[in-house]
Amino acid sequence: MSYMELFKVPDPTPELSRKSAIVGVGESDFHADYQAARAKASGYEGHTSESLAVIAFERALADSGLKREDIDGLGVNYLYGGPSAEETAEMLALKPKHIMGPTGGICAGPIPLACQDIASGAADTIALIFSAATRSIGRKFGGQNFGSGAPSSYYYHHPWGWSSQAAHWALIWQHYMATYGKTEADLASVAIQLRNNAMRNPNAIMQSPLTVEKYLESRYVVRPLHLFDLCLVNDGAVCLIIRKADMAKGLAHVPVDVGGWGHAAVKSDKLHTLVRERLRPQFQESGRQALEMAGIPLTEVQHFEGYDASTIHLINHIEGHGFVEPGAGLDFCKSGEMDVNGSLPVNMAGGILSGSYMHGWNHVAEIVRQLRHEAGPSQVKDVEVSMSSLAQTDQVHPLIFMRGSQS
Amino acid sequence: MTQTRPNRTLGPGHDDFWEGCAKGELRIQQCSACDKHSWPVVGTCEHCGSAVLAFKTISGKGKVVSWCSFVQDYYRGMMPVPYDCIMVELAEGPIFMSNPADFAYDDITFNMAVEVTFIDAEDAGGPFKLPVFRRD
Repeated sequence: MSYMELFKVPDPTPELSRKSAIVGVGESDFHADYQAARAKASGYEGHTSESLAVIAFERALADSGLKREDIDGLGVNYLYGGPSAEETAEMLALKPKHIMGPTGGICAGPIPLACQDIASGAADTIALIFSAATRSIGRKFGGQNFGSGAPSSYYYHHPWGWSSQAAHWALIWQHYMATYGKTEADLASVAIQLRNNAMRNPNAIMQSPLTVEKYLESRYVVRPLHLFDLCLVNDGAVCLIIRKADMAKGLAHVPVDVGGWGHAAVKSDKLHTLVRERLRPQFQESGRQALEMAGIPLTEVQHFEGYDASTIHLINHIEGHGFVEPGAGLDFCKSGEMDVNGSLPVNMAGGILSGSYMHGWNHVAEIVRQLRHEAGPSQVKDVEVSMSSLAQTDQVHPLIFMRGSQS
Repeated sequence: MTQTRPNRTLGPGHDDFWEGCAKGELRIQQCSACDKHSWPVVGTCEHCGSAVLAFKTISGKGKVVSWCSFVQDYYRGMMPVPYDCIMVELAEGPIFMSNPADFAYDDITFNMAVEVTFIDAEDAGGPFKLPVFRRD
């Protein structure tokens, strides 16, 4: 079953814009945990989804300055299984009056659904927890051991050996090179930019410099994509605390308002739309919804966090939403426009390519730091509006966030 | 030589496709209402929603619109790496993921013309004919 069949994204109505704000953020120790897992030091047992969730929640609660009893709503997203929300509440000594239903795990549905629940009066303050012990449980991607072979999924193409998420991005990049006359070295610029961003974030997993030479010498995973074109696999958790906007002032940090959201899905010709149109119709439609809900034009977005499952997929976002024309994304990156001082800083914490594979949640955590103006050396100067965008192979989910007011 | 391949999806509808392959024919669904073809197998036409669909033998001709080579061994040894996959736009419209029969990654050019051919394969469901593409 597709994760989107589990829930419906609320309509992006302007009435719900800026009615809820993120007031607390917590992340697990992505860098330290990855190093420990790689080193397999004696006595190291690795994390469980539960232990990671506790770490992220306690940090978010402390960050918000709220009391435990202020948390009256809870949404849990254990990507590969975990305790129920009720069991999680008990584990965290919470007594929520509202527990959210299934939201799909990845950071697409949970935030709009939490905003809707807060607006409806179901809760005032919701803790949203995402946790995945992806590496510790030995999750492998691609191959024959997952999936039903439904015609909409790549598992249907098994007899031809076509499998894995990476293969989607490989076909897109091959088609992009043929269409726009680019070479493999051109794509290295995206991996290098993201690595540079990660190196300004001590909690990012990857901290060593990347060069074009190192990129080209790296192994192919699915040619023409190299190792550095594909996201990390690691354990971790993120917690976001979302509160009714008029109760979000005067707390420990500047609130980060949820301004808008959108959603568009591919309805037919999935591979054609993905590879040859690079989801442009879906980026355009969902972005228009989110911007209209927030009441701003795209030109007011000063910082962007896009789902970088692959380097080329991040370029799909930049071009698809209309920050640059189709075919211009790699030159945009190469000329430094995606850097911290560029015209559109992108994935300032290193994304999932070099930061941490948190399925969009770490992108939103970085937006919170940016809009609070607490992002340290990665801080985008005077940023007031940020956009996140989560897109897999057939869905796009953008979110608009705005720096709120303390008083 | 018979190649071992990862499992096909079998069952109602899917079996019609593989029965066509066994006869050396590429058969996919065509909508009786809007005449458009669909692949992979669908329950209702993804273009107009009609449920009146019939398997028709198509030309087997198309062009390569993208391609890749698997280096990572996703199938744990079942398919020796590296091996190539091609994304073919069939003359009738749908996209068909397949493998090259008489050429390889470095021979491919954008929009190269190809036509279907069949090779011997087997999976957990037994021996079958697998449609792949050669230069046209």
